[in-house]
Amino acid sequence: MDAAICLTLAGIYFAAWLQSRSMWGYLFFTFSALGSAAIAACELLLMRSETVEQFGRVDWLSHFPLCVLLVSIVWFTRFHLRAGWPWLGWAVIATRILMLVMNIFSPPTINFRVITGLHRVSFLGETIFTPEGVLNPWANVGKLSSVLLLIFLITATVEVSRRKKRVDLFLSGSLMFFITAAALHAALVERGIVKSPYLISFAFLGVILTMAYGLSSDVLRASQLVVMLQASEAGLRESEERMTLAAEAANLGIWISDLARQEIWATQKWRELFGFSGSDQLDLEGILQRVHPEDREVVNQMLTKVLASGGNYEAEYRLLLRDGKIRWIASRGRVEFNGNGKPALLRGVSVDVTQRHAVELEVQQQRAELAHFSRVSMLGELSGSLAHELSQPLGAILRNTEAAELFLEDPSPDMDELRAILADIRKDDQRAGAVIDRMRSMMKRRAVEHGMLDLNMLAADVIGFVRRDADLRKVRLTLEPASSLPLMRGDRIQLQQVLLNLLLNAMDAVSDSTPDRRRVAVLVRLADKRAEVVVSDTGHGIPEDKLPRVFEPFFTSKQNGMGLGLPISRTIIEAHGGSIQAKNDPDGGAIFCFTLPMAGEGGSS
Amino acid sequence: MTEPTPIVRIVDDDASFLKAIARLLRGAGFTVKPFVSAVEFLAQPELDVPGCVLVDLQMPGLSGLELQDVMARTGHRLPVIFLSGHGDVPSTVRAMRQGAEDFLTKLAPKEDLIEAVKRAVRRDCNERAERARQKELRAPFATLTPREVEVLQHVVQGKLNKQIAYDLGIHERTVKLHRTAITTKLGVQSNAELMRLWIAVQGTEA
Repeated sequence: MDAAICLTLAGIYFAAWLQSRSMWGYLFFTFSALGSAAIAACELLLMRSETVEQFGRVDWLSHFPLCVLLVSIVWFTRFHLRAGWPWLGWAVIATRILMLVMNIFSPPTINFRVITGLHRVSFLGETIFTPEGVLNPWANVGKLSSVLLLIFLITATVEVSRRKKRVDLFLSGSLMFFITAAALHAALVERGIVKSPYLISFAFLGVILTMAYGLSSDVLRASQLVVMLQASEAGLRESEERMTLAAEAANLGIWISDLARQEIWATQKWRELFGFSGSDQLDLEGILQRVHPEDREVVNQMLTKVLASGGNYEAEYRLLLRDGKIRWIASRGRVEFNGNGKPALLRGVSVDVTQRHAVELEVQQQRAELAHFSRVSMLGELSGSLAHELSQPLGAILRNTEAAELFLEDPSPDMDELRAILADIRKDDQRAGAVIDRMRSMMKRRAVEHGMLDLNMLAADVIGFVRRDADLRKVRLTLEPASSLPLMRGDRIQLQQVLLNLLLNAMDAVSDSTPDRRRVAVLVRLADKRAEVVVSDTGHGIPEDKLPRVFEPFFTSKQNGMGLGLPISRTIIEAHGGSIQAKNDPDGGAIFCFTLPMAGEGGSS
Repeated sequence: MTEPTPIVRIVDDDASFLKAIARLLRGAGFTVKPFVSAVEFLAQPELDVPGCVLVDLQMPGLSGLELQDVMARTGHRLPVIFLSGHGDVPSTVRAMRQGAEDFLTKLAPKEDLIEAVKRAVRRDCNERAERARQKELRAPFATLTPREVEVLQHVVQGKLNKQIAYDLGIHERTVKLHRTAITTKLGVQSNAELMRLWIAVQGTEA
């Protein structure tokens, strides 16, 4: 029965070890149980052996399982409890193997030099045999081994007791107790002090049961973990499904690129967005090929950048689909790094924003239309000075031509004078052309064109535009350009329009002042990494209660103003990612200022 | 005539146009003097020299209309011809009301321009001659004594010696003596002649 329990347990834990190879404790428990079963069998045979020879053979044989059992206990303690002094463990193993080797070479058995006879003993109603003979002093090596094992277990128990794990403490304590019991019992039987058969297998059964208990709490915990794992797996599956559902509902395509394995996984939706079938093999090169040729380089650079330096990316770009249609995609993603600081994963989410772009385009067109309308009406305000600007060169050309005609009536005309006249005509023609170009650029209906521009130069251009008007209205117009200003992205005409609008307003604001108080100043500067343009005048300022409303459409203080200039200016500035404000100068007059982000910052492609 | 040659003054802030129009008018036989601003012109107006002024209506600093204003207030009598980039009605009205000689666009035909300049110059010459004549006529009046002026004023009202004597509280004979002095000083033969002279001088009261 004893052996059967041990064998059963051995079977269970061997199976358990096969399941999880790293649990060496299970394997050594298996060996211990097997050893214990074998010892139990040996003891039964010893009890039943009727001759001295038979007894000696079985006793000799029993040393093998004993050795396996005790060595296994040492390893079990080391691996399962992770306790005990290693060198003591090695000493136990060494002495035990020495004992086994000596046993092999010293018949009949290491325990007895000679077995003289067998006693017939009545034990629990059964007739059994106990040996009698001369003890072999070398057998003390076995005792030494047992004592060492005991000390090893004591050290292990002390170590375990510090960990406050009751199961482990119970385990090591019990091991200690049963080993002591087994060793004592064996020694007493051998010396004939106790008339009983070898019953150490019962003590070992205790050892095995204790070990089994210790392990079973592990197994129990493991099975609990399995249950929890299953539950969380189910939860994970559910949340994954939920996420996929949400992603599908939001038309989000998800893709993950495993950079080490060069594999790309993507949801069905993502494949649909990029025009891949479910079975197509994905790679970065292939994906880039789907991107519109005009956007490809930008996307490629962006990916290269995040892969090199990490971080998030965000982009909007076009896909050129197989049927020649264009699909706008908005993508966001992140590069994740492994422990070595190398990029490991690239996760991305993409969504179709074609619809939004169509709407945006329409809004943009309307905005451009409105801006154009406002520009044309501003030109109307300037028409007086523009006509003058145009009539000057045209008048000069006319008069020069007429003068030349007069000179040519002379039989010997002054050729030098005629040449000078022609040069002047050419110069004035170019001047008139420039005025017309400028007017046309403002009059033209056009799409928004973002390019790199120098804000200082833009301000100087606009001031040139109204200089004549300002002179005629006796307004002193000054420009203070920024000392150093990087180029920035923007629509030149629209930004000119904003500044022109502010200047015309400012000039209107000072028209009631006495000529020496008619001043309008333009300041371009770099403030907080943003470009700032400030237009200030020396007029009456804006009444405080009207200040918050100046950017509202149709709000105007002018008699024949439409109240669209400032709202359109604000729309333009905000479309450039900037902001525009109005305030009053404490020293009198109004201040309008707009800020724009520098190129390469806050700008989306 | 010993009169100096009339000068056509041109005031325009646009150097290129100034040069061109000066060239044309010079070619047309005028003596021309260009100025790039009203202030520069006012600094050396050469009032003795007849002619006219061509003024750009729109100029920074002093505009054409303001120049005309200043000239009127300081007694410049040169005819003013305005040149404008475009026909702006309110400015035209104001210019004409202030007594502008003419109002031309910068792109007006050469013939119109030259004709206007000729007309202005001619008018200035005529006016100057007229003024000189008036001055000549008025000169004898300066020799009259205050009492003689008083008597004259009564005479031209057609009053009789008796009435004059009564009004001024003097003797009728004294009035006669004054009248004789007056006719002698003014060099007139008859009462009718005196009245004609009086009327001529009245028209040019400065």
